[in-house]
Amino acid sequence: MDDLWPVAVGVFQAWMFVVVFFIMLPAMCGLSLGVTSVYIQILVKILEWATLRIQRGRQEQPSVPVPLPNGIIERAGGSMEEEMAPAGAEFSLSDALFFYKEGVESIVDDQVTQRFSSEELASWNLLTRTNHNFRYISLRLTVIWGLGVFVRYGVLFPLRITLTVIGLSWLVIGTTLVGFLPESSVKTWLSELVHVTCYRICARGLSATVHYHNRDNRPQKGGICVSNHTTPIDVVILANDGCYAMVGQVHGGLMGVLQRSMVRSCPHIWFERSEMRDRHAVTNRLRAHVAAKNKLPILIFPEGTCINNTSVMMFKKGSFEIGGTIHPVAIKYDPRFGDAFWNSSKYNMVSYLLRMMTSWAIVVNVWYLPPMTIQEGEDAAQFANRVKSAVAHRGGLLDLDWDGGLKRGKVKDSLKEEQQKKYSSIITGQSDHDSSSLTT
Amino acid sequence: MGASHTRTEPNEFQDLMDKTGFSVEQIKNLRKRFLQLSGNEETISRENLDSIPALANNPLKKEIINAIFDKRNQHESEVGSFQEIGFEQFLMVMSHFRPPTLKTTPEEKEALRKEKLRFLFNMHDTDNDGTITLDEYRKVVEDLLSKSGAIEPATAKGIADAAMLEVASTNVPHMAPDEFYEGITFEHFEQILKGLEMETRMHIRFLDVGTATMRCGRSTS
Repeated sequence: MDDLWPVAVGVFQAWMFVVVFFIMLPAMCGLSLGVTSVYIQILVKILEWATLRIQRGRQEQPSVPVPLPNGIIERAGGSMEEEMAPAGAEFSLSDALFFYKEGVESIVDDQVTQRFSSEELASWNLLTRTNHNFRYISLRLTVIWGLGVFVRYGVLFPLRITLTVIGLSWLVIGTTLVGFLPESSVKTWLSELVHVTCYRICARGLSATVHYHNRDNRPQKGGICVSNHTTPIDVVILANDGCYAMVGQVHGGLMGVLQRSMVRSCPHIWFERSEMRDRHAVTNRLRAHVAAKNKLPILIFPEGTCINNTSVMMFKKGSFEIGGTIHPVAIKYDPRFGDAFWNSSKYNMVSYLLRMMTSWAIVVNVWYLPPMTIQEGEDAAQFANRVKSAVAHRGGLLDLDWDGGLKRGKVKDSLKEEQQKKYSSIITGQSDHDSSSLTT
Repeated sequence: MGASHTRTEPNEFQDLMDKTGFSVEQIKNLRKRFLQLSGNEETISRENLDSIPALANNPLKKEIINAIFDKRNQHESEVGSFQEIGFEQFLMVMSHFRPPTLKTTPEEKEALRKEKLRFLFNMHDTDNDGTITLDEYRKVVEDLLSKSGAIEPATAKGIADAAMLEVASTNVPHMAPDEFYEGITFEHFEQILKGLEMETRMHIRFLDVGTATMRCGRSTS
């Protein structure tokens, strides 16, 4: 047994050497050895082959089902006005039919509930976890899948864990050290350096390939950056390309340690839970931060919760009342390489991170949109909607008006009142002369 | 054809297919939806349906949910309503919304239409006495119209009364002035909605795999 020990030590040293010199240092400098892009290209080729194979398998075995990406019913899509009022008809029994049909349709399939679970893929990407409907198709496919499991769990996963651990400890140590310096431009520069390098290491720890578009629109100091929210990893993705002031609740445990050390070197905004309830206190703190024009741009996710990256839900207007310039950002993950959505009711943070680290990779597109400000005669809610539409349009996501809070709460009655009002106006519009003769 | 690796189709679905007329794939899709709505339980309660956002928008939500839990819509002779329903009952209710296929004979079409009308009738006739009384009808109208003041309550009542009067005059043309019109019976109901295209107004196109297979441009043969 004794001679195994030096071997183990030797292997470990070689391992650390590879990790540090070939991955970590280039990452810190923002360079890339190109290994990841080659890996992604190979992966794309393999997945294309697998898709073709599965399609061929489907044609041979008609019992293998096809997933339906747009829901399980086909909607005729008539609006209330079209269905109800053909050339001046009055209220009739059949008007109720429109609502009944709509109601049953929403029971069978609705736009909102599906946003809170992971997107179903059109074809299998050789990960067990996305295997909803796919059955045994061929031997070669299974072999490739098995190989994939080995590569992901045996080779990539330890690598990624090592990198993440190094990255996070570097963040804690680095920011604490920088925190000892007096306030000066050197301190600011050093703190930005520490933050960026650490996030780059963490990004490598997830095998993340990020494509930034329109980098000239990057958020400037004194601005507010808003983005759609899919996962906590969004923060790592965005912070790879610039330094932001984070906003969030104070946590305990590991997160708390990170938060406390981060705030030593650079003014992030962490709220106590009690403060969060007081909206004015929150808004005031954010306003003060924005008003000091030389502070880092604030990063806010106005949806308030994680959505599954197929759509953008209502942006809460609180973030848009602070004032200042809004820099919208659209983030779109490529679902072929791994499902980035954090379903917080299904997975806790640790199991989520483990799933992330055993996916193929994370490929992201980030679009920086031109800055927007609130216009004359627009209130915060309308401004929020305008920004949301811009983000959805750029990212190729569906623009929904529903509130992400519906994940956990119920719909307000006022929405039902809207529908009733609409119907009432259709009826009164036609039967004006009739109703006046009836109310005698 | 050919590959002997097909999994045997579960025979449990065969039974449901015969009863409801859905295809295997439609049943599987609806099963997934059922589990999603019920939170992976075996039954759905009214609270589960209450939490669908798009349904909460609908002014007739109460009537619709009651119809789902109504025992009369299960093609059996029981009355009353369930507290919770299982998957089979869910399918039975949904089967009322199936469109006729190309293979449906005219007699079957007529039967389907009658079924749909019966479903609608049951939705209005809440006390199950076989007639839709003025009160029951008024209830539906009230639910449809806004309480916020776009229409005054008197107007709403007027609309319901006028519609009821029209039904009475069409169906009982020689009613004496002091005769009381009890309510719309099922036959009258059928009569009123005779001209209505049930096939388009009351059906939902459940997608079937056969019609929506995804074929990419490249042929693989």
